[in-house]
Amino acid sequence: MKLIGVDVGGTFTDLVFCDTGADRVAVHKVPTTPDDPSQGVIAGILGLCKEQGVPAGDIDHVLHGTTIATNAVLEYKGARTGMVTNEGFRDVIHIARHQRPQHYSIMQEVPWQNRPLVKRRHRKVVRERLVPPKGDVLTPLDEKAVLRAARALKKEGVEAIAVCFLFSYLNARHEERARAIIVEEFPEAFVTNSAAVSPQFREFERFTTTALAAFIGPKVRSYVANLDQSLRNSSMRADLHIMASNGGVATPAMVAERPVVTLLSGPAAGVLGGAWVGALAGRRRLITFDAGGTSADVGIVSDGKFQEATARDTWIAGYPLMAPMIDIHTIGAGGGSVAYVDQGGAFRVGPRSAGAQPGPAAYGRGGAEPTVTDANLVLGRLDKNDFLGGSMKLDEAASRRVIGELARRLAIDPLEAAEGVLTIINSNMANAIRSRTVQKGLDPRDFALVAFGGAGPLHGAEVAAQLDIAEVIVPPYPGITSAMGLLTTDLKYDAIRTEFQVRGAIDLGKLNADFRDMEAGLARQFKADGVRPDEVSFQRAGDLRYVGQGYELRVTMAAGRLDERALDAAWTAFHEAHKAEYGHYFEASPIEIVNIRVTGIGRMPKIGRPGAPPGGSLAAARVRSGACVFRVDGTLKRFDTEFYQRRRLPLDEAIVGPAVILQTDSTTLLPPGWSGRADREGNILLRRGGGR
Amino acid sequence: MNDVAKTVLRNRIDPVTASVIQGALENIAVEMGFKLMRMSYSSIIRESEDFGAALIDPQGRQLCESKQSTPLQSGPIPGYVRGVMRQFAERGEAFRPGDVIMHNDAYAGASHGPDVAFIVPAFLGDRLVGFSVTTAHHLDIGALSPGSCGIVDAVDTYAEGLQFKSIKVYDATRRNDAVWQILRDNIRASDLVVGDMEAQIAAARIGAERYLELIGRYGLETVNAGFEDLLDYSERLMRDAIAKLPDGVYRATNYIDGYLEDADPTRRELPLKVAITVKGSDLTVDLTGTAPQVPDKPINMPLEGTVDVAVWLTLRSILLDTAVYGHIPQNSGLTRPIRIVAPKGTLVNPIFPAPVIARFCPGNQLADTVMKALAPAVPRQVSAGIGNLKVIAFSGLAGEKHWVHMEIFEGSYGGRYGMDGIDAVDTLYANTRNNPVEDIESHLPLRVTRYELRENVCAAGKWRGGIGSIREFTYLADGGASVEGEGHRFKPWGFRGGQDGYTAALMVKAGGGKPRALPSKVPYMKMKAGDRFLAVGPSGGGYGDPLQRDPGRVLGDVLDGYITAAAARRDYGVAIARGAVDAKATEKLRKSRRRRR
Repeated sequence: MKLIGVDVGGTFTDLVFCDTGADRVAVHKVPTTPDDPSQGVIAGILGLCKEQGVPAGDIDHVLHGTTIATNAVLEYKGARTGMVTNEGFRDVIHIARHQRPQHYSIMQEVPWQNRPLVKRRHRKVVRERLVPPKGDVLTPLDEKAVLRAARALKKEGVEAIAVCFLFSYLNARHEERARAIIVEEFPEAFVTNSAAVSPQFREFERFTTTALAAFIGPKVRSYVANLDQSLRNSSMRADLHIMASNGGVATPAMVAERPVVTLLSGPAAGVLGGAWVGALAGRRRLITFDAGGTSADVGIVSDGKFQEATARDTWIAGYPLMAPMIDIHTIGAGGGSVAYVDQGGAFRVGPRSAGAQPGPAAYGRGGAEPTVTDANLVLGRLDKNDFLGGSMKLDEAASRRVIGELARRLAIDPLEAAEGVLTIINSNMANAIRSRTVQKGLDPRDFALVAFGGAGPLHGAEVAAQLDIAEVIVPPYPGITSAMGLLTTDLKYDAIRTEFQVRGAIDLGKLNADFRDMEAGLARQFKADGVRPDEVSFQRAGDLRYVGQGYELRVTMAAGRLDERALDAAWTAFHEAHKAEYGHYFEASPIEIVNIRVTGIGRMPKIGRPGAPPGGSLAAARVRSGACVFRVDGTLKRFDTEFYQRRRLPLDEAIVGPAVILQTDSTTLLPPGWSGRADREGNILLRRGGGR
Repeated sequence: MNDVAKTVLRNRIDPVTASVIQGALENIAVEMGFKLMRMSYSSIIRESEDFGAALIDPQGRQLCESKQSTPLQSGPIPGYVRGVMRQFAERGEAFRPGDVIMHNDAYAGASHGPDVAFIVPAFLGDRLVGFSVTTAHHLDIGALSPGSCGIVDAVDTYAEGLQFKSIKVYDATRRNDAVWQILRDNIRASDLVVGDMEAQIAAARIGAERYLELIGRYGLETVNAGFEDLLDYSERLMRDAIAKLPDGVYRATNYIDGYLEDADPTRRELPLKVAITVKGSDLTVDLTGTAPQVPDKPINMPLEGTVDVAVWLTLRSILLDTAVYGHIPQNSGLTRPIRIVAPKGTLVNPIFPAPVIARFCPGNQLADTVMKALAPAVPRQVSAGIGNLKVIAFSGLAGEKHWVHMEIFEGSYGGRYGMDGIDAVDTLYANTRNNPVEDIESHLPLRVTRYELRENVCAAGKWRGGIGSIREFTYLADGGASVEGEGHRFKPWGFRGGQDGYTAALMVKAGGGKPRALPSKVPYMKMKAGDRFLAVGPSGGGYGDPLQRDPGRVLGDVLDGYITAAAARRDYGVAIARGAVDAKATEKLRKSRRRRR
């Protein structure tokens, strides 16, 4: 099988080619074409094929990570969207949870009021009402009103419509009927309904997620259709798959139907890439640490499994998003993070970033503020002549100047200021990792840190040191680990249903029927996608809580027919999860099954082992030695530090820190007290101890 | 060298370590709040987020607070700890490792009785190094009627429910079973309440553990020095902001409803008076002139725990607005430059045992009065008058067990410089969340039959006031309710030519009868299945001359159904024809309107 992964970033489109039969992996980079990213994608694929001597028509699968939906939301450039909802509830998405985003602010913006996904004028109400617990009809659907609404919205020029009724997660028939009426009247519109997008309780969050789907729907639909067509036009016959936030991929048809699945897919591919790298190195418990210019993403992998975010913790541009996704914690910390002295005189770094333009002062593009990259340069940890493979010269004098100004404002030595920038940013990064480990009952010392992204390998060891993590894994191509991650995925579709069933009074018949029904629905979907039944598997889970609580914890539920024993296992798993998450559990409290979930997995071909690099020698890899500054036992010291070229490193031979390892897309730092070696999978493994 | 650099030189530790310690402290408080919210049972805590979490130093100063918590919960925490310290000193009691102390004495730091704190002292060896504290609003605290809101007929603090004055529920790790049994026997819906209390203790213990870990990492001396620097830092920020204000005295008066149907005039239409004196970087808030306390109705506000918090948080939100300043650590340093004068025996400094349980809405009106006073000094940093809130305690019996549900009804903000007011939202010192309709109806014998914005009640201004909501609840089974609210009589104030806002209202409709208007405070009343409440939220005041409002925005308000085309003409001088602004007619209208002034 010949696979290509294409990950579109803000500046570059990264590509990875893999021939699963021949253990061959190759990477490629082209500039992103922001106006129509598919152009860069096609150019990259054709370029990569040519470079590898593979006819484009021989590629079997193209796996694609896109931010088209994400950017539409972040830039508030989506479709003119309408909504059809219950009479009396026109403003659910405007009132939200009646809470301000900021406690202490008069002049704040409220995203859902200042940037409405659906303006009030386009929110039409109709008589309709369902009631719990079963979704019985209290007020029948006023179909004529739906038709009137469709006509009005058409006249108002909307391009997309969200149908959102209360309690539709219990009974979707009214929403589906309304949707059918609208589609018949207004077939050009992108129409979706809340039970199809996310059939879970909490109306503000569900309606908003549905409005987001409609808001991005037309754009995503035409993007994937264009891209698919462009691939055909380039005489390719490869299947196109799109990365989703849940860590799987989806077909273009699925993405066109449920565009929200791609909304937070960018960082998901990174976690997958990190997990793949860690698994190759034989590590089962991993913290993926993907740091670039503006942000750092932290993900947790235990025994090959990702942590999933709970539905209530997922946001985009200030809007809540109820879509299954990998739990990724993002903070504003990266190479471009700006260091400054705030109004009260405190020393801060980030979350604001100088970005790529103007970028750090070192870039010589007019950046006048000190950044993390400048601090690294001043301390000697970056090579001004060999940054991004020498494609960009760094302006060391500019970095010294801006760090010097910072130091004057802080009334400390410039080197102290530079090192302080790194200590603060590393501590912010370590806090982000603590929030996903220590705060969830996981001990980070049991994990290896996979450090990638442009800035990850430069900070990985010092961040690990703050957390007492002993090992850091740096993948072969740290800058394109996300593109690699695309080649490790499966088709992954989620189904969810709200149950509200309480231990002691479980209707096993309903529970089993619901699970069967959800699995049958997913199986139909896979069949439509042309996936063979023997390639399909299901994973069940439940969102459980103690009766009365408002937040659920996810536990795995058994396959097949559930009986009392299977339920007992779920109750035990819930108590254990509660203990791990919160530090204790309540043995005697009744437990409620809030949602049940099924994830359907359709197996896809995957990237193989990359094949051992040729290996060189330390002498051959050595570029130069230079002075680097590190803090040891509380004081700053200058160390003679060896600089190596990564591709010439010997295999399995100790490299002693302090050392700097250069490569095109990243720089790896071994601080004093750390050692490293290049392994046969192409990784560099860093360990605390063994250095000077 | 500028001033900032000089102050940095005064610091006890290097700025890098200070920054790292600050980040670590906040991380701890965030974890406490996160866990409390997720473990707790009552919707008032888990959905409304009416809880607080903070670390306090041995002198009773706040080190950090949880970001999720509501300001009125975290703000008072230092006062709770100081109250317990005073009472322990009087009684000759000492903190010991393993203690957990329960406290809700509104005359010793607590915000009011239902907001119960659990305090875990943190010991390094045998040395007390701080306190980890959680507070939360409990569903019921054993008052005269079900729920802990709307106890508007309590005649003294004894009628407000159980009083816990620095009670060790764990005494050096030994659980005080008798206290827990008393709680279970005297509180309605005690399963939920006790579960929430246990969650509070668990979260407070986590905070203490993490705090000790932090001390383990950096050493006590460094953490203390970092904290002292942090207090100085916050103080400096507040002083700089105060120093930017022109020296002078700024005054304002607002009125609260009190008990509108009460025959006794000393119980209704009560003034809140604020005089703010700015002198250099010091600021004094003098509340002299505020109405005398109401000795037998619980709308008195504890000075420590409600009044101080209302003043501090409002000043902070205006002078160090997060939208402008970014995140600023909330700690006791921020309050150092602020002095509060509150004469004893008034609404803002009542004398024990005057009842205080329903102080929530008056306190928020006080916050609004502080903003109103400061408005002329910083007109671009305030909103016009806010719409106040309302709380209904719904309750009933299922067999021998009570169900209790408290719902906080939103207000709205006034217009702001360059921005319209926020619609249907919690205001000033409150920032809770509503309960999803789909959650309420799935778990309680209630149906929500309407929840949307009001129409045609939008205070005109260059930047219009926020719009209030309308929410309707129907009982599906017999039960009861009590209400505490404000703003039925007095309109939110318009600013700089903006119109005044619109008052709130509350209606009850029994069976098929006609709706009956209720005052803003209603003691416990029976409700029958089929009865409904219609809660009408207030709209905030307008900001600036309506004739200066961008006609495009006026059109938007018409298209969105907030105002009619006729109102656009009347209030804004904007002519709208066939869904568009008639620019010429508008110009003419506005000109003639200006001439007539």
